[in-house]
Amino acid sequence: MELKIRKNGDVYIIDVNGEMDLYNSYKLKELVMKMLEKNVKIFIINLEQVDYIDSSGIGALIYICSTIKKMNLKLSIANIHGSVKKVIELTKLMGYFPISNSVEEALLMVKE
Amino acid sequence: MEQEEIKELRSDDNDPLFDKTNMLCKIFPSDFRQIRYFTLLIVQSAPTEIKELNLLEQQISEVIKNAVKHGNHCDINKKVTVWYSFSPTHAHLIVQDEGEGFKDIEKWNDFNRKRLECLHRQNFEELTNYVSFRTKQSDDQDGGNALFAALEYWNGGFVYNGKRNAVAMLKKFQQKRHGVNIDGE
Repeated sequence: MELKIRKNGDVYIIDVNGEMDLYNSYKLKELVMKMLEKNVKIFIINLEQVDYIDSSGIGALIYICSTIKKMNLKLSIANIHGSVKKVIELTKLMGYFPISNSVEEALLMVKE
Repeated sequence: MEQEEIKELRSDDNDPLFDKTNMLCKIFPSDFRQIRYFTLLIVQSAPTEIKELNLLEQQISEVIKNAVKHGNHCDINKKVTVWYSFSPTHAHLIVQDEGEGFKDIEKWNDFNRKRLECLHRQNFEELTNYVSFRTKQSDDQDGGNALFAALEYWNGGFVYNGKRNAVAMLKKFQQKRHGVNIDGE
């Protein structure tokens, strides 16, 4: 799994590339925690290049989402598709996560 | 009030899903690093007509992970045994470890009931307390959500044996008409 950060104004977009599984999901969690330490306030997690997620990956997203909610900061998760979407639907968390269909839509969502 | 069906984990030695007739079998050491590899060894015998093979792979991987990690505590000397049978219309597996058994089934069911109540009421604030099931053994890598999805995914049943160290599961796939894909893909 590869993680790349790009910036759009004060929004930090994390592009995730690869599989969010039991061996590497912690990397995304660690990256977001480091960014929080550096006072990043607005996040977009782009899952366009993620075709596989398991319960550890969902767990990482839950942890990130609940931490950011508690701190009253902003997050949107963009481009959930395919089996990733199916797994999130099976856990019934589609309504829990702040989801957007594209990075553009996510930018509008976090800037509201 | 509209009542949603509440699926529960259960344990029953006599459940027909524990009938191993005509099932293939593989035995693995409890090597955490190889969980996905072991899963692929099983899934490679599934027919390619099955749609969403990687979702099937993911769901099987979760059950093998539970056996390796929570059942056998990654003790390389303890084995995980997987019986399996696939066809274009079904996936049937039994995964057994050498552990003490999943003691917290009742706690899990209680937790899941509360989770489903929050979802039913769309109370996402309270839901935060019920998104991840934790036990004393849980660590940071445990998502705590695998069994929520398992109960939904395994639509033909997901049942533990009496000792709770084996779980049997069945997924029924919609049959495609001969030469025609109903979903039009």
